[in-house]
Amino acid sequence: MSKRFPTGAGIVIIVAILSVASFINLGLLDVSRWGLAFRNLAIFSRELSPPRWDILPVLLPAIWETIQISFAGTILGFLLSLPLAFLGTHTLFNQLITTVARGLVGAIRTVPSILFGIIFVIAVGLGPKAGVLGVALYTVGYLAKIYYEAFEAVDGEVIEAVRSTGCNRLQLFRFAILPETFNTLISQLLFMFEYNIRASTIMGFVGAGGIGYYLVGYVQMLQYQHLMMAIILIFVVIMAIDLVSFRIRARISAPRY
Amino acid sequence: MNTIKPKISKPRFTDDTVGLVLRAKSLWHSYNQKNFVLEGVDLDLKEGMSMMVLGRSGSGKTTLIKILAGLIRPSRGQVEYFFDRDATPSSRVVAYIPQNLGLVRNLSAIENVLMGVLGRTPTVATMFGRFRAVDHEQAARLMADLGIGDKIDKKIWHLSGGERQRVAIARALIQNPRLILADEFVSQLDPVTSMEILAMVKKLTQNKIAFLATTHDVLLAKEYADFVVVMRNGKLIMPAAFKDMIIEEIMKDGYE
Repeated sequence: MSKRFPTGAGIVIIVAILSVASFINLGLLDVSRWGLAFRNLAIFSRELSPPRWDILPVLLPAIWETIQISFAGTILGFLLSLPLAFLGTHTLFNQLITTVARGLVGAIRTVPSILFGIIFVIAVGLGPKAGVLGVALYTVGYLAKIYYEAFEAVDGEVIEAVRSTGCNRLQLFRFAILPETFNTLISQLLFMFEYNIRASTIMGFVGAGGIGYYLVGYVQMLQYQHLMMAIILIFVVIMAIDLVSFRIRARISAPRY
Repeated sequence: MNTIKPKISKPRFTDDTVGLVLRAKSLWHSYNQKNFVLEGVDLDLKEGMSMMVLGRSGSGKTTLIKILAGLIRPSRGQVEYFFDRDATPSSRVVAYIPQNLGLVRNLSAIENVLMGVLGRTPTVATMFGRFRAVDHEQAARLMADLGIGDKIDKKIWHLSGGERQRVAIARALIQNPRLILADEFVSQLDPVTSMEILAMVKKLTQNKIAFLATTHDVLLAKEYADFVVVMRNGKLIMPAAFKDMIIEEIMKDGYE
């Protein structure tokens, strides 16, 4: 065998070639356009200020609806993802069942959240109901995967010890897997809720309730000062929820021996 | 479930199986089809007898005990269990204590003990954490006997190593087993605590429950086992014999 080309250098060169090629193809290296872009951005940001504080009474109920969509959707998705993760765990079920469960979860995960929004707006009509269902399915795609991976990471000795008592797999799940992964489950659930605030905002774009509806409306009607107000509000809410959630998660996942 | 069911052959009760709980016949095992971890292990275990398997790390002790517990199927050979005759529905014939005990740290001590009765409790009740009153009483009694009666509702991670070991023993005993298999029993505890716990186990199991443990502590084995066997490179190099007869030989043989 001849001398091998260093793998690391090879990967760097390939990534560099691909990057430059895609930059050229996508017009990113077209300098004449950049001047235009900066000029437009400057105009846009001038029009964003000052934010219109007087529309807060309209936006507050809307963002409250978004928070509720995120909350309800996360809880619903959590309830759906538990059984799917249970069925997807190799320590509990055979290859056939886990493959089907994991395939379903994978299929759900490939659909972007906004597409779920559209699907449910068609199914149940405009409004937050569609948003909740969309967020719920989106949640299943992620939580179920994180959960079955957590279930499988449970210490093999604990599984063996509990299984050797002659219990069935529901009992094994209830007494070994669930308590051993409980902190992970809750901490990931909080993270998902945090993340779903953003997903719920997007839901409004397609008329599935919440503040996203206003966001899109302001863009289309060129009301950039209204838009600025909505963005500030979303920013504050997301920061607040992130902070609270982070605090709780840090407490839950503190190691204990 | 991906559990490997032990290959329990129908026991043939003959004259030479009187009083036996377990007979392993020429067990061979390999994890990779090349190197054998066990090379033809034969083992007889009699009712109420305590046996310690001595051996260094990597000698095949854990593999042997997992095969006996039915967690691994041996590549060759078989294990026969002889307790069909009067095994009651409320008894699991083999109780297993893994090396690191396998306790669920997020649950209380008594919940861990009660796991031993999962097999004889209706599934729906257990889902809500409910167990029979008799089982509750037995769990509390066993824990009191083992000296952890005041630790019943403590979470496992609040317990010391010795207390955890006692919880694991209680979980084994509540299964009303005919045989307890313990891997590297008490090996992570200080000598005084290990002696204390072994004496306790001896008292609780004496003449009723067969006890087989692996260890690397020669003195412990000498002190507490009726029989000591030595495992080296996948072979039991000393067949079951009275401990008094062989302990000098073990030393002479340059174990460790």
